[in-house]
Amino acid sequence: MSGIASALDREVEDLAEKVRRSLVQIRNGHGGAGAGAIWHPDGLILTNAHVVGRRAKVVLGDGVVHEARVLAVDEERDLAALAVEASGLPAVELGSARDLRAGQWVLAIGHPWGLEGAVTSGVVIGVGELPGLPAGGREMVAASLHLRPGDSGGVLVDAEGRVVGINTMMAGLDLGLAISVDEAKRFAKQALGTRG
Amino acid sequence: MAALLKDLSKELADAVEKAGGSLVRVEARRRLPATGVVWSAEGLVVTASHVVEQQEDIKFGLPDGSEAAAVFVGRDPGTDLALLKTEAKGLPAADWGDPDELRVGNMVLALGRPGRTVQATLGILSARGQGWRTPLGGEIDLFLRTDALMAPGFSGGPLVGSSGRVYGVLSSALSREAGIAIPTATVRRVAGDLATHGRVRRGYLGVGPQPARLPADLSEKVGQETGLLLISVEPGSPAAEAGLMLGDVIVGMDGQSTRHMPDLLGLLSGDRVGSSVAVRVVRAGKIEERKIKVGERP
Repeated sequence: MSGIASALDREVEDLAEKVRRSLVQIRNGHGGAGAGAIWHPDGLILTNAHVVGRRAKVVLGDGVVHEARVLAVDEERDLAALAVEASGLPAVELGSARDLRAGQWVLAIGHPWGLEGAVTSGVVIGVGELPGLPAGGREMVAASLHLRPGDSGGVLVDAEGRVVGINTMMAGLDLGLAISVDEAKRFAKQALGTRG
Repeated sequence: MAALLKDLSKELADAVEKAGGSLVRVEARRRLPATGVVWSAEGLVVTASHVVEQQEDIKFGLPDGSEAAAVFVGRDPGTDLALLKTEAKGLPAADWGDPDELRVGNMVLALGRPGRTVQATLGILSARGQGWRTPLGGEIDLFLRTDALMAPGFSGGPLVGSSGRVYGVLSSALSREAGIAIPTATVRRVAGDLATHGRVRRGYLGVGPQPARLPADLSEKVGQETGLLLISVEPGSPAAEAGLMLGDVIVGMDGQSTRHMPDLLGLLSGDRVGSSVAVRVVRAGKIEERKIKVGERP
């Protein structure tokens, strides 16, 4: 039985490190900050609408601050698409929330309380129909983990590092809600399609 | 790359899927639905008593997505368990396990089905201990606690091990502390009583006892430092019939000493209802023995 826990530790470390490369910081100029994910190597960034102001700055992994162009904001779905002038960025690997099973391991990564690239892990509670939780008719993934202010707009990934959701809100101290990646994919497509 | 993590994740989801096949959505209150665990293949389902607010028009949501009518069989508020029954066929009983298989630190899952699909949270078994008595007087065979989150609608759901076995029923009503599970043994006992009598029987004397220190000489004679001082005796109750009076101190029952409240409550189990027991009392400095026919608590 020796070493399973430490082997798991290393796997989680590696996974976090890999996903962290695709994570950015969003600054909205009002003292607020959140996270975002590199959706496309050419500078498409996805985040929550509530972390984006009229203007947003994006801090990439190398610390360089970019003025971002706001491509699309959907307050209802709480999603925003930004563009920065850059190329060859490390984009996230996209999964699907439809295949998620309750009990499956997931990791959330963001900047809780401004702590850069911090992670929290837990399991999928449920997807889609979530009675008693404030999903508000949106396609959400509920996970038992500790989302905090600054985690918004960061990604929820599965055991293989594929994005399954955009971390959006807390529904209790240990209960996080993420917008389904499938919803985010549709939004990104629309955002690019109209403003491309 | 992440081979172990992937396997672990899959095993947990498999455990949820296995146990989830024996979970139903329980619609027996106006607010959020709760969860029930299939106790036996005859359609008996256990859930938490506090989520059953109506005893008629109860509905189940089955694992296959269909709905079925359910009838109320009985409840035991003391242990916060209720038994319901459906005529729907083919519901597999959960794989009920003995919590002796669990050690503190083992991974466990809390499950619920407040909606159509099964939901899960993960934690560890954070404590196990002696049997205990709930604030409502229910006797729980073993103390089991997990740090797994009780998500909305999880009451009545199972505490599940990593293999998908069910070790107890979760209730958020028994304690302010989260994640208390009623172990399989208690569920078996209570479900059995509810199926047979529609209720859990408890013995009744009709006294208001309070622990009190005995004077030194008496304490030596009786062999214990405290007894139960009667501060009230219900008129017409079994205790009154047997001649017990205000101020008597019960020091023993059926050959066992009663030092504190739990001693007496433990002796007033359902199987003693209707039987005659010898009660040892101290009255005016003397030890007496009286026969009481144990009643059933209303």
